[in-house]
Amino acid sequence: MSLSRRDFIKNTAALTAASYIGMNLPFVAGEANAADVASWHRGTCRLCGTGCRVQLGINSKGQPVAMRGEPKSRTNFGYLCMKGMMFYKIMNHPDRLTMPLYRERKDQPFKEISWDKALDIAARKFAEAKQQYGPNSTAYYGSGQCLTEETYLFQKIMRAALQTNNVEGNPRLCMASAVGGYLTSFGADEPIGSYANIEKSSCMFLIGSNMAEAHPVIFRRVMRHKMNNKDKVKVINADPRFSATSRIADMHMQFKPGTDLAMLNAMAYTIIDEKLYDKEFIADYAVFRKGKKVLVDMEAYWKSLQDYTPEKAAKICGGNITAKMIREAARMFAKSDGTVSFWCMGINQRKRGVWANNLIHNLHILTGQLCREGADSFSLTGQPNACGGVREGGGLCHILPGHRLVVKEKLRNQVEDAWGIPRGRIAPKPGAHTIKMFQQVNSADIKAIWINCTSPAQSLPNVDLYRKGMAREDVFIVTSDIFPTRTTELSNLVLPTAFHFEKSGVYGCTERRSQLTPKVVQSPGEARPETWIATEWCARMAKYLNDPVVLQTVKPFLGKEMYVEQPQAIWDEYTQKLTKGRDNDLRGASYTVLKQMADGVQWPAPTEAFALTGGTVMKFVKGVDPMATSMSKNEKPFQFYGPAHPDKKLWIWIRPQAGADEEPDADWPMYLSTGRVIDHWHTTSMTGRIPELMRANPYSFVEINPKDAMRYGIKPNDMVEIESRRGKVTMPAKVMEGPIEGMVFAYWHDMHEDRMINKVVKDSFDPGSKEPEFKICACRIKRVSGPKALKPFIVT
Amino acid sequence: MPIGGFVIALDRSIQDEVLTQFAKFSQIEIHGVDEEGNAVAVIDTETSDEMEQLTRDLQKIDGVLSLGVTYFHAEDEIEKIESGELKPTLSFGRKGEKPANCS
Ligand code: SF4
Repeated sequence: MSLSRRDFIKNTAALTAASYIGMNLPFVAGEANAADVASWHRGTCRLCGTGCRVQLGINSKGQPVAMRGEPKSRTNFGYLCMKGMMFYKIMNHPDRLTMPLYRERKDQPFKEISWDKALDIAARKFAEAKQQYGPNSTAYYGSGQCLTEETYLFQKIMRAALQTNNVEGNPRLCMASAVGGYLTSFGADEPIGSYANIEKSSCMFLIGSNMAEAHPVIFRRVMRHKMNNKDKVKVINADPRFSATSRIADMHMQFKPGTDLAMLNAMAYTIIDEKLYDKEFIADYAVFRKGKKVLVDMEAYWKSLQDYTPEKAAKICGGNITAKMIREAARMFAKSDGTVSFWCMGINQRKRGVWANNLIHNLHILTGQLCREGADSFSLTGQPNACGGVREGGGLCHILPGHRLVVKEKLRNQVEDAWGIPRGRIAPKPGAHTIKMFQQVNSADIKAIWINCTSPAQSLPNVDLYRKGMAREDVFIVTSDIFPTRTTELSNLVLPTAFHFEKSGVYGCTERRSQLTPKVVQSPGEARPETWIATEWCARMAKYLNDPVVLQTVKPFLGKEMYVEQPQAIWDEYTQKLTKGRDNDLRGASYTVLKQMADGVQWPAPTEAFALTGGTVMKFVKGVDPMATSMSKNEKPFQFYGPAHPDKKLWIWIRPQAGADEEPDADWPMYLSTGRVIDHWHTTSMTGRIPELMRANPYSFVEINPKDAMRYGIKPNDMVEIESRRGKVTMPAKVMEGPIEGMVFAYWHDMHEDRMINKVVKDSFDPGSKEPEFKICACRIKRVSGPKALKPFIVT
Repeated sequence: MPIGGFVIALDRSIQDEVLTQFAKFSQIEIHGVDEEGNAVAVIDTETSDEMEQLTRDLQKIDGVLSLGVTYFHAEDEIEKIESGELKPTLSFGRKGEKPANCS
């Protein structure tokens, strides 16, 4: 019987869904697959840090027409969330930037110009800034959504050609505290294990993460594991807000914002008090520390915990926290056959985010819930390449590629030698971290800044303060992106870039997994890959600066075909020269290997043969991690060889409770917290252009606890003003048992001037990680009117 | 006219009731349910709006634990957008010329 084209497509849809759960359907796969997709191309989802593998369907005209999950992928097993399934639809969007745009002054309209002119202007402006005001008057602000090749190349140009470490990126806003936590607790950045631990765990501790909305495909695994083992697997969710994630939890620990450190210390207290710790593991692998240089013993640690008996902590934490609950949570955590902790921005975006990370790691070290199946201390990553590009590729002001610190001369020299530039060329001091960088834009100490693939004019905390600086006429701003944003509005030069699948490159997701996305679609108009843009820009700067080292920086990539050969040459240089012997050794993950792998390679992967097995599923375990084997110092099964701990030990930290930088008071009586919704990605420049997603959440809402709503006379959908010492916004109310009483929770995706919540959020930051405390500040709220018809808004 | 392939996780204890609810929607075809309560579903709607509304309605049904999309096809829409016949309703034109506004 012949099938209509529509039936073909429907059969494909059914077969794809059925393949994920191993169900056989009575259709012939070939028949269904013949429906209008000429070829399928494997790549990685463009959006969150989960790293789901996708297949993009291209028709005979070369247009992207369908998307499906990659069933062989060990990250998502074929599942995708709606965002992942639909991101390809923006490739054809009429708002795409297709020509370079320029204006001398920011109060002028943009004019289209040629690439030749655009690159020349950018080169001249940065060269002039360097010559007149010194290297640190230039800066690069990138993104955890850039490909690794892009981040690596831009930071190389900034450090080698312009001689500044003013290299930052938006992962400073989300991941820096996790980096600080891993380095100080384990001596090495990034998680030890993999998502595979989910299905092997008996207890999952989810704290400061609404993974049901922010990482829906990981949550699906967590939820399925819980549902399949309802009695055996325990889920603890700790969060001041009851979220979609909390619904599957056996226990929801709802504490007052900013009291997480007390709660975690109280769990540690119980673990020691009830002798639930792993004596042998601690003796073999851990030490106790108070400060970086101060070693203490377990007795001193125990003494420090006396301020956090469950009874005392319950008083500090408020909410529904009781001493009994803390004890129960600690027992579940410690006694389970395998406990995995997951956390995200709720822990990282805190004034003491690094400490909060340390205290979660403490629980794992104390109980030996590490380096075995089902056990891990796992920080979730927000963006698709915050780990791979920015953390590993040298995308922050204090780190060089391969997890090297700028301040260490020996490590700088290694990089200089690999790049073939004179020793001493890389500046010895770290550059300005994100908030400092934009403070320096405010004071015009930075004269020329390149902003790539991100929109700080919406995403920075206390954003209006920094938008004023960005609007200055004496600060030259280049923005490279695919759509107009709040940041292109403040730029002099806007460069149109190729989107995902319109260029080749690698993303490294949360579980140390590097995955290649190939170029299979033509980018619109004159949009170009960033690697080409950066190479050409640097080559032009060489002329203005009359400096051979500037040209040397990009010489290996100049003139190469821009979509595949150029990124491949950059990847080869980075992996072969800069990761060799480092803990993120990626030498085996060549493009040739990555092309063969359904789901990429987990580092360390020093050889192609090992990379072809998938790489390292669990770090530090001899026989599993090749570096643990090659760097083994003794007969013990685990080898903590991380570069930041010379003693090769895990460090259990004494960290006291520390509240938010700005706590509520009589004038500002409420806590404000912010976060994401499932349908949107960050500032909505992409998801706001997908009607299905935008309609689901057309504007931001503020969630208000029913008790607070009653106190303030607020009804559902009333317009509510949220005001802080920095600014105010107005958005409709959702009255719900979500946020704890005394706290409101606003979605941060909305671009509308009236609803951009980052105008209200405070720009204080963790003194260690320099990550801003987006999650807590003080505000007041008031009802301004009944419901109003609002229009969704995106910048065009 | 979008077509989606979904795996819908059902609460096994009330699976039959949920499937009866699904039967009320003509746009949904259920191709089977495995022993863990995962239903294979195809949703075929006239417009993206309808697809989006329907998936939202389904998630409100008691016993629907999650809705996992595994395939999405929208060629007709893409071709119409490319030919200029369809303008995504949430586009507001291109390259709006606005001076910097820091309110
Ligand atoms: S969970 Fe994240 S990576 Fe996976 S499909 Fe959704 S947005 Fe993409």
